[in-house]
Amino acid sequence: MSAVSALAALALMRRETELRVGPVARALDGRSVEPGHYRINRDEFLLWTDTGLGFHYRRSCGVTLDQTAPVPAGEIELWHHGSVYAAIAALNGLVPLHASAVAHNGQVHAFAGPSGMGKSTLAAGLGRNGFPLFCDDTLLLDLSDPDAVWCLPGHKRLKLCSDALALTGAAAQEHVGVMIDKVYAQPLAGVIDSPLPLAALTFLADGPNLGLRPVTGGEQLSLLNDDHYTADYVVLARGLDRAGRMAHLAGLAAVLPTGLLTRPRSNAAFADGLAFVAAQVRGRQP
Amino acid sequence: MSAPLRKAEGRFSETAFEDEVVVMQLDSGEFFSLTGTARDIWLLIDGRRSAAEIVATLAAVFACTESEIAGDVADFLAQMTEAQLVVAE
Repeated sequence: MSAVSALAALALMRRETELRVGPVARALDGRSVEPGHYRINRDEFLLWTDTGLGFHYRRSCGVTLDQTAPVPAGEIELWHHGSVYAAIAALNGLVPLHASAVAHNGQVHAFAGPSGMGKSTLAAGLGRNGFPLFCDDTLLLDLSDPDAVWCLPGHKRLKLCSDALALTGAAAQEHVGVMIDKVYAQPLAGVIDSPLPLAALTFLADGPNLGLRPVTGGEQLSLLNDDHYTADYVVLARGLDRAGRMAHLAGLAAVLPTGLLTRPRSNAAFADGLAFVAAQVRGRQP
Repeated sequence: MSAPLRKAEGRFSETAFEDEVVVMQLDSGEFFSLTGTARDIWLLIDGRRSAAEIVATLAAVFACTESEIAGDVADFLAQMTEAQLVVAE
């Protein structure tokens, strides 16, 4: 088996996420979508932002943007590469995860966890150890190959807060914008732009001691049962009820090599944690 | 103790791992991770066995007295009954 399906998925995402300007409805399936809300069914996604941006996607028809008010520079890109991108992935059979990742030896090492847990900082820091960035914040999985879990390369630019910039040494670029108090950053070891198989998905957690252990069973399901919007999109796009969500999580658990990294969360401990993770990544054989 | 126990079909979804069964209560979305004796009890609930028969079966399997294991079985069944995952016929 090769990366053919993942390359096809990547081409599909590039085609389906093309943006054009036009009128966007205020309702989907006869139900109004208020500012700051979205609605998704098995073929379409409709989002209206609080700032007056409307995004509508229909499978095989691309994305339509309706801008009803001026917005700060960069805001359209944030929505387009964030919520809209993840919804399109979910509607086309891919699985978006709330994760950042680096690449090593032709495989992806991903780090997941709630917002603020340090996913981007860790991935950026690993750039100092020579690991190129694979994605920031959203990892797209293609599960169509029974022999491997393929990951699609990141579509978002790396975003870091000021503390993370200092810790990782990543070069600061422009400020992201009013929505997010971060700056874009240049990954020190570059970026990967082609699909790669997944080596490991590591969830991040706070803890007094540095350690990494595999997780399975209920703990794994619980970690994968993310309440991030990316997980909700998969459930809604596939029309899953709770039993269906359980089956989906069990399917993910069966194919994702999952671990839990605990580490003290302090600037002083960051270097030790980074060295530990770098050694773990290097030690994993393809 | 004498009524057969059955799982409340339609109220849960379960998935088995190597040494664990994870049960989701569909109304609440709550996960139950069943390992060890809890897993064994869950697997013995088949609509025919009563609580007493489950205790007897486990006592034979683990080569212990029924009194040693009856409390664990009762506690587990009470938890599952409260979660509406197990009902007595």
